[in-house]
Amino acid sequence: MIRKRARLLVSAAAVALVVSACTAGAGLQPSSSTGDQSTQSATGGSTTPSGGSGSTGTETSGTSGSSSSSGSQPAPSDGTLTLGLVLEPVSLDFTTQSGAAIPQVLLDNVYETLVNQAQDGTIVPGLAEKWTVSPDGLTYDFTLRSGVTFSDGEPFTADDAVFSINYVKTKWTVNVADAMKVVASATAVSPTELKVVLSHPDNLWLFKMTTRIGAMMSPKHVDKLATEAIGTGPYVFSNWIHGDSITLTRNPHYWGSTALEKTIVFKYFSDPTAMNNALLTDQIQVITTVQTPPALKQFDDKSKYTIIDGTTNGKVMMTMNDARPPLNDVRVRQAINYALDKPAILKAAWAGYGTVIGSHEVPTDPWYVDLANRYPHDVAKAKQLLAEAGQTHLTLTLALPPVPYAAAAAPIIVSQLADAGITVKTTNVTFDNWLAKIFAKPYDYDLTIINHVEQYDVTTVFDGTPDYYTQYTNPKVAELEKQGLEGDHATFIADFQQVMRILADDAAAAWLWAFPNLMVADANVRGLPQNAIGESLNVFGLYTS
Amino acid sequence: MTAFMTPPTMPPMPEPALLTNPSAQRRNPLLLVGGVIVALIVATALVSFFWTPFPTILTDTDHLASPPGAGGHLLGTDLYGRDIASWLMVGAQTTLYVGIVAVGIAAVIGTPLGILAGMVRPAWSEFLMRITDIWLAFPALLMALIFATVFGASITSAMTAIGIASVPSFVRVVRSGTIVVMNADYVLAARVAGRRSPAIALKHVLPNIAGLVIVQCSVSYAIAILAEAALSYLGLAGGPTTPSWGLMLFQGQAVIAGDPLLVIWPGVAIGLAVLGFNLFGDGLRDRYDPRLSGR
Repeated sequence: MIRKRARLLVSAAAVALVVSACTAGAGLQPSSSTGDQSTQSATGGSTTPSGGSGSTGTETSGTSGSSSSSGSQPAPSDGTLTLGLVLEPVSLDFTTQSGAAIPQVLLDNVYETLVNQAQDGTIVPGLAEKWTVSPDGLTYDFTLRSGVTFSDGEPFTADDAVFSINYVKTKWTVNVADAMKVVASATAVSPTELKVVLSHPDNLWLFKMTTRIGAMMSPKHVDKLATEAIGTGPYVFSNWIHGDSITLTRNPHYWGSTALEKTIVFKYFSDPTAMNNALLTDQIQVITTVQTPPALKQFDDKSKYTIIDGTTNGKVMMTMNDARPPLNDVRVRQAINYALDKPAILKAAWAGYGTVIGSHEVPTDPWYVDLANRYPHDVAKAKQLLAEAGQTHLTLTLALPPVPYAAAAAPIIVSQLADAGITVKTTNVTFDNWLAKIFAKPYDYDLTIINHVEQYDVTTVFDGTPDYYTQYTNPKVAELEKQGLEGDHATFIADFQQVMRILADDAAAAWLWAFPNLMVADANVRGLPQNAIGESLNVFGLYTS
Repeated sequence: MTAFMTPPTMPPMPEPALLTNPSAQRRNPLLLVGGVIVALIVATALVSFFWTPFPTILTDTDHLASPPGAGGHLLGTDLYGRDIASWLMVGAQTTLYVGIVAVGIAAVIGTPLGILAGMVRPAWSEFLMRITDIWLAFPALLMALIFATVFGASITSAMTAIGIASVPSFVRVVRSGTIVVMNADYVLAARVAGRRSPAIALKHVLPNIAGLVIVQCSVSYAIAILAEAALSYLGLAGGPTTPSWGLMLFQGQAVIAGDPLLVIWPGVAIGLAVLGFNLFGDGLRDRYDPRLSGR
């Protein structure tokens, strides 16, 4: 999202003047954010941008803490920045391969989308300069930027956009492609005009277009997606050393301003301690996701390291098998929620980074209602509910996938549930087994802990039907979600807030905390996005000072 | 083990009463020190069945990674506020259990196979030994991984894998001992007297190689303790709430720079246990090895 800051400087001098008027040569001071935030609130809450340059101007604010203000934009350098990551992709083809690893590298950096999300979650222009939505919510008219080319030199036109949208509908094999089913037709009116007609209104479709399914691809290269990545983005895919790193280099023909750092290396570590040590010994400049927050003490020296604590869309939750006795009894699930002291769990498991949540939402969701205290820690109440349900000697199994937050939360959960008289046995499961037996039929588990990372995924995770591993069934929730997605903006928000409350009341799961975007970087690394909003690790604005 | 291979004949093994022979122990400080350490671990494990300072399940979230003494925790608490002293105590149980399972499997499978390999005709013996070599070439960690995937990650499945992986070393040691015994005059005499092979194996071979097996058990025990620590470290053994020294090491390593004590305590415990069993094994070998016994 930072790219807009740079783009803006080139394309909209007027806004740049407004921003720099606040900073007035203040160098690295983040004071411009005051001016920006007022713009943000003007556009906030709406999914329609107020206009190209106006809304791009809002984006500096989210990153202002870690990046320089527009007044002192550095010159592009020929340097290399190496980032430490955890999960290496299997291939480069996210049309057939699930998971977050591929879009993390390629989306926004190599492939671009028609629309993007700003740091505050509002939708802003990308490859589309502007767009209009018909009053019935069915027709989207996009005006595309002219002069955009793919990195192979071919121009990007509305025909390519039509191809990309239809390609998702016909050729993609991954689940996320389902979000494109709602598109009835996509037509190129002219090389810069694209018309998309939906079969029914869908308030989340435009949001989904900011994710990987909105990636604009070249028809000429889709047969080699696994090994090549040809997009319109500020970087081009350059090299992949399997088991080690992926390298992106600057796209010299990028339609926007030139990327600041010539080479970006994504280096993969299977062991978090090894990644910490790599930063301490200067092999990498950024830890993009901190796996062991209690270990952050070693990066306390502010003259050497910057710790970034932003937000993600991740919801860490203890999933309960809502269909399996005795967890199909709402009183048992509520008792478990009362028995948990969530602030203490967050403090002990994740060093207090993140936000306690009480439903399937994060504070940046547009419908967010604060339900963190829906079940205050109350052991007596938990025992009483268990007694009412006839479950005074309850034994449950907690299956733990090999993720650090699960291993960190489990000991505290086991201890707290024991206080309420619930015996919990923990078992480690490999990720393959987790996907095969818990996440898929036969849903063989009582409790498990996982971070649901996708944005606005409540319609998947709790769709009200027993077709998902949560096994939560409630026709009312299904109806509210459908009505919300098709209704006007006010209905949309109201219905989803209602869904959040119902899920919390039903104790459909034990939500623990909103996962923080925790990064550690060398102090001279600038331009890291504060919040992880979309699916990508956007490196466009990264540079070293 | 070459000591058993070289002499054409071998004096009858000393009586198993050696361990209780005070004069022998006095001459053997290794055995004494090793024995004391092993006895301490056993005693700790036994006590932990009935009493620990705190329940191992308890997470004192007001005292996270606190230094020794804070909040009544003798050795301090770990990252999740659990009492380190209690964890070390119950971890001793795990350590002993680990050794019993792994060594038990290795000895029960490896000893008969080794005797068999030492008694059959040379061609068959060679065949068995080559199979053992292939077996030995299969990495123990890989086997543990496969077991964890198929049977679920638990200490028992991990230790079964380690036990199976330790079988070849038992086969080799027992076979070499058996060959020596089989060349002894009394075995020839038994053969001449018409004793059948199973009877010879039971009456003559097994008693005479018992010392060897005990030594091998002791050494394997130390290896099993290390393997459990390694597997816990990789998350292939018990869950994060099963007290084990290896798990403590794993959970503490992330903060080794800030709270080194979290790693030092279990590290010292593992080191002591391995040292204890190794010394004990060395001491026993010294006692049973005819070439060294006169030293």
